[in-house]
Amino acid sequence: MAAIAVERGQMLGHWRRWAPVAVLLGLCLVVGLINPSFFSFGNAVRMLNTAAIPLVVCMGATFVILMGSIDLSVEGTIALCAVAASMLVTNDLTGVTIGLWSVPAAILLGGALGLLNGLVHVKLRIPSFMATLGIGFAGIGIATAILGGVMVRIADTDFRNWLSLGRLFGIPAAVWIAGIAVLAAWVIQERTRIGRWIYAIGTDEQTARNSGIPVERTRILIFGVAGLFYGLAGALSAAQIGRGHALIAQDRLFTAITAVVVGGTALSGGVGSVLNSVIGVFIVIVLANGMVLMGIEPYVQKGVQGILIIAAVALALDRSRLDVVK
Amino acid sequence: MRAMRQRLDTWLPLIVLGVLVLAVGLYDRTFFSLGNVLEVTADTMTLFLMASGVTLVIMMGGIDLSVQAVASMTSCILAVYLPELGFFAIPFAVLGGIVAGFVGGYVSTRLRIPSFIATLAVSGAVLSAGYWFSETRSINIPGELSQKYLSWAVGNFLGVPNEIWVGAFFLVLLSLVLGLTPFGRVVRGIGAQERAVIASGIDVDRVKIAAYTLSGTMAGIAGVVMAARLGSGSPTLANEFLLPAIASIVVGGTAITGGVGSVWRTFVGALIVQVVRIGMTFMGVSVFAQQIVFGVILVAAVAVTMDRNKVLVIK
Repeated sequence: MAAIAVERGQMLGHWRRWAPVAVLLGLCLVVGLINPSFFSFGNAVRMLNTAAIPLVVCMGATFVILMGSIDLSVEGTIALCAVAASMLVTNDLTGVTIGLWSVPAAILLGGALGLLNGLVHVKLRIPSFMATLGIGFAGIGIATAILGGVMVRIADTDFRNWLSLGRLFGIPAAVWIAGIAVLAAWVIQERTRIGRWIYAIGTDEQTARNSGIPVERTRILIFGVAGLFYGLAGALSAAQIGRGHALIAQDRLFTAITAVVVGGTALSGGVGSVLNSVIGVFIVIVLANGMVLMGIEPYVQKGVQGILIIAAVALALDRSRLDVVK
Repeated sequence: MRAMRQRLDTWLPLIVLGVLVLAVGLYDRTFFSLGNVLEVTADTMTLFLMASGVTLVIMMGGIDLSVQAVASMTSCILAVYLPELGFFAIPFAVLGGIVAGFVGGYVSTRLRIPSFIATLAVSGAVLSAGYWFSETRSINIPGELSQKYLSWAVGNFLGVPNEIWVGAFFLVLLSLVLGLTPFGRVVRGIGAQERAVIASGIDVDRVKIAAYTLSGTMAGIAGVVMAARLGSGSPTLANEFLLPAIASIVVGGTAITGGVGSVWRTFVGALIVQVVRIGMTFMGVSVFAQQIVFGVILVAAVAVTMDRNKVLVIK
């Protein structure tokens, strides 16, 4: 009896692991049947291009969620980094032009904001959602204050070509960069000590601490690493639309959380992977693309994403691990 | 020593408010005039109304991140249906808030999803609903309709702006509910020690759903008052209200770990937030930069009020 129960448990685990992939394939099939132009090369490139920035954002967000924490500062960090990047390249507001060096600058700025998130969360012992909520709002505030409500126009064609518009083998630069970001995140997750520690902390922080993992330092660092990805996403956003303004990151947080949880990473921590989030991003993008092809108003998307979050979290939640839900 | 500490904790928000008022008053003497005091208080009321319901949720140790979307949506419902339904547009709009609050509570408790993610998800759906009701536009409320149906929110009575009467009414009502009813005691109990409340046979989920529903209701009422004051409804009307609302609650001394708190504390907290805002405007800090200060205040207040004995692992 026990053996059967274990086997069923494994079957269930197996099924849960592959469920996001099945959902993605099913979704592609349904949208493709309704509108065959879905399968065209042009549409595929369009979707990849839309997926690029969410992919980069989700790489960072996944690490934080794997620890059982959450980062609500996504939009603030991206906005500030996008504004910083667009003010460092040739633009109509400042005289500074450091060209492509603005990309590492934006990434480092994101990392610094992430470290600040981590420090406030760990050192002041404040729940991450609260710390990042405050810092995220502050980030948008700073971005708006720097610009005083106006926007910066980017005149640097190199910057835009290398980060977004230029194409290699017919695929936009942003997609290649997102691919590199995914690879980097995967390497961090699989091939570094800190990547393994994320899982230990997310599964059972007390045990992780007892077995000698520097939990505090890892937490702070991971928030910093997440910030690096948001910083890159900021530079990509600025390059994509050719402008920098404080509301550039609107809805990025929502899409990121939806993609991460729909991909099968549990909010309670310890379960999931950056590859799950890649699947999750494509589920969200295909759904949005399908809705556009079916002629549904774009503002409905956020509502659909909200329902997706609830459904995915409800299905993936391991209820045996929590008794009191706050 | 302990008793003193506790007494200080109780009165600290009021002391802070007093000091801030004095500081701003020294900068600008007209601040103390009766007219100005009434105006400042009236301006604070929408923030207080929005935060008052969330206070109950935070006292249980949860959070409601959907209130700004809910208030925006109800402002749209009100503005759209006022010409058609007249007075009945008001309960209809508030009903929108009730439903949103109920759904958030239901999702969080019955599906056992942490409240911050459940209410964040619901706020996405609510935002879409707001856009749907308003057809993505901002909708003006004609002056004569406002005069006819919304004067209870924006007029004067006995020389006091009606916003203050509305705010005071809900301050007293919610305080009575929290202080005198079994519901209020259970809300406190859930925040203090949820397992004990469950063990004593109380249907915790029902109480929680009721509290979230109340939070949505108050956000809905805040949306109606906001629309009445501004003379329009829009799907982004209450944006930038979430952070000050949570800041008001926490600055007032309600701990996000639950168990401690009250609605009058939120009232004081909202006044603190408003006076800080006025002070910053005097000093020439731009409206945009003020978000930064509120972010810092929020984090600092959470750090001070949080009861770390209650949570072993801070995620």
